Amino acid sequence: MLTFTLRRLLLAVPVLLGVVFVVMLTVDLLPGDAVTLMLGEHATKDAVAALREHLGLDKPFVVRYLDYVGHLLRGDLGRSMQQNRPVAAELADAWPATLQLTVAALVIAAAVGIAAGVVSAVWPNSLFDAVARLASLFGLSMPIFWTGLVLIVVFSLWLNWLPVGGAGSFAHLVLPAVTLALPSVAMVARMTRAAVLDVLREDYVRTARAKGVGEVWVLGKHALRNAFIPILTLLGLQSGQLMGGAVLTETVFSWPGLGRLMVKAIFARDYVLLQGAVLVFALAFVVVNLLVDLSYGALDPRIARQG
Amino acid sequence: MRTLVSRLAVALLGLALVAALAAPVSAQKRGGTLTIVRPTDPVSLEPNLETTAPGAWVYFNMLEGLLTLDEKMQIKPVLATSYEVMSPTKVRFKLRPGVKFHDGTPFNAAAVKFTYDRALHGTPPARWASLAGSLAGAEVVDDLTVDILTREPYGPILRTLAMYCMGIVSPAAVQRLGADFSRAPVGTGPFKFVEWKTNTHVIIERHADYWGDKALVDRVIFKVVPEEGARMIALQTGDADMVLFPSPAQLPALRRDSKYTVHETTGIRVVFVGMHAGLPPLDDVRVRQALLHAVDRQAILDNIMEGSAGPARGVLAPGVFGYKDMQLDSVYPFDRARARALLGKAGFTPGPDGIMQKGGQRLSLSWIAARGRYPKDAEITEAVQAMFKDVGVEAKAQFLEWGTVFPQLRGNPLNHHLFTLGWVTSNADADYSLFALFHSKQVPPAGWNTSRYENPRLDTLVERARRSLNQTEREKLYGEAQDILAKEMVWIPVYTTKEIIVTRAAVKGFGIHPVEYNLALWKTWLDK
Repeated sequence: MLTFTLRRLLLAVPVLLGVVFVVMLTVDLLPGDAVTLMLGEHATKDAVAALREHLGLDKPFVVRYLDYVGHLLRGDLGRSMQQNRPVAAELADAWPATLQLTVAALVIAAAVGIAAGVVSAVWPNSLFDAVARLASLFGLSMPIFWTGLVLIVVFSLWLNWLPVGGAGSFAHLVLPAVTLALPSVAMVARMTRAAVLDVLREDYVRTARAKGVGEVWVLGKHALRNAFIPILTLLGLQSGQLMGGAVLTETVFSWPGLGRLMVKAIFARDYVLLQGAVLVFALAFVVVNLLVDLSYGALDPRIARQG
Repeated sequence: MRTLVSRLAVALLGLALVAALAAPVSAQKRGGTLTIVRPTDPVSLEPNLETTAPGAWVYFNMLEGLLTLDEKMQIKPVLATSYEVMSPTKVRFKLRPGVKFHDGTPFNAAAVKFTYDRALHGTPPARWASLAGSLAGAEVVDDLTVDILTREPYGPILRTLAMYCMGIVSPAAVQRLGADFSRAPVGTGPFKFVEWKTNTHVIIERHADYWGDKALVDRVIFKVVPEEGARMIALQTGDADMVLFPSPAQLPALRRDSKYTVHETTGIRVVFVGMHAGLPPLDDVRVRQALLHAVDRQAILDNIMEGSAGPARGVLAPGVFGYKDMQLDSVYPFDRARARALLGKAGFTPGPDGIMQKGGQRLSLSWIAARGRYPKDAEITEAVQAMFKDVGVEAKAQFLEWGTVFPQLRGNPLNHHLFTLGWVTSNADADYSLFALFHSKQVPPAGWNTSRYENPRLDTLVERARRSLNQTEREKLYGEAQDILAKEMVWIPVYTTKEIIVTRAAVKGFGIHPVEYNLALWKTWLDK
């Protein structure tokens, strides 16, 4: 188990370096450069050259990459080109907000999605099932941008229950977390329904029922535990989706997280800041995947033995 | 008895009326928090790192320069009390006595020198260094006297010093805070810094020891709300008192609604269709004039800009020093017959496909434009393209990303006849436009003479105006320069931008400024 974890973490290093390379190359290939954007169109040629040199942008791409990686390996994320502030400080300001939002959305997605999925599976083709399936189709199809604005109009403008945006209290978290969770709730509900329905048709479930085991026990002990592996995989994938979706949600709800930091960095072609933000996302991905893999073993001892 | 009562009643009524009329004047209230929503967080809160609006809106209220431009674009003294031109490259300023920075240290000539040295000779220099033209630095004469030096005789020096980004900073605070100064600046202004939470808000509060009229509100909170729809809802729910960058589509409704006030004024950016004066057939002035007659500029203002922009009467915006009304609407009225006649004089005749031609060559022009760089730039390009077609001129427009258009315009040679562009006269002095855009030495890659316009007479005029420190003389020279441009027309000016800010009706005393960055909040008060 420990060697497995260590091996996976070591494997993450080349992944992260690759991510850094791709991000840096992409920013390099984008038209427009950081210095022109910072100094404006009216800047003199000398001013542009001086700032390029100061930021090291006059060096070739490979040198800049190796430079960055060298600093990174020493734990130095550099300074934001535009703001001249340590990237670590910028990230420290932003990542707790994104973590809070993503975790809240994941909890909503898991709780509501699994509950709805199980009820639908137990009473398939019931009225609840029909409504849940329709609602989940809706949840999957609506873009976050639109749902977010509709929720703001209803709960902030009309009902005046919740703030329009910003962060700071639980009330601020409700709308963005729900908006972000909606597509995931739908996915989880559909997956849970299918997985539980599958398991309920298995022989061991029939055996358990034949033994006279109560329906609740059948569902909890036999069905859900086995249906949980695909659901968990999905939740792992969804947490990645949620982090990605956070970019839009954070924009609609003025939530001060990593997604907005990234958008800001892209518009300024500030690759140092962008790298830092992307690294946090990439690292989160690696960790979530690892956690999912580890939990397979906990759910199913056969997988643990193989690992 | 009865008449006495009624007379008394009338008198009382009269008194009440007088009182009612007088009330709004005396009701100016102090206190409260003004909440402002705008789309983006500042880059920084000090001008050396930030010249764009999100930061300037905040620091303009905390840092003061020697001079400023008021809402009528007139120069007003702030930290300076008077000035005297000592030589063509030296202007001496008397400084306001008894002024203290927010940290309690005294404002003096050394602080002025410190600010400019740090900005102009730092590594790298301040982001505004390119805007400051010939400004070379400052010399301390005595504690309250300072000489401002330029590298060459530089007429725009006063308006340069009055720019929003020329605020004097506290040397003690810069030394104490180091790099963190850019997140917590210390100046002499009517507001002082309280807190900046990245991507959430910046808070500033009234500086109680301010040397002049103290700010009326206790605090100002600048919130970041990136989504336009959410900004407008925040205004409606009362979460915000003021919206910067309001949604243009909602303006007509907001103008009618008494719960809100729409503040608007003509800005200092002119958006235009530029013509390459060196590329045939546009090297013929008659063809260029014909194109001006072909464009119905009023229709563009009415139907595309829908009240969000003002007319362009010349190559400069009205607030700019040296502006002269070029009377384009009467000199070059929308008149297709005149356009065709001018093209005829230039030797063009209608071809079989309706496009004019000369010697078998169709009158076909190539055009580059960006989409979304300036308000409605692509839409106006398409509209003008259609208007050209009505007089037999074909224009082939290419829409590219601004990042791709920019290097082409600033490169040499330019292989397009036309381009859609906007220009802000950043220091509000005609030099910044007439010299940079039309002097023959400013042809790219050296400068921004994207029309490749060359005229020795104009060169002489704008050079003389640049080197003179006599503002009356300068104004006259710029007038002559604009007279030449009005005849030669290498642009089709389309519109002048408008600055628009919406507040709730309870926000009083706010005056919108033609320069977007000059968001002055110290006279603003809340009637609630």
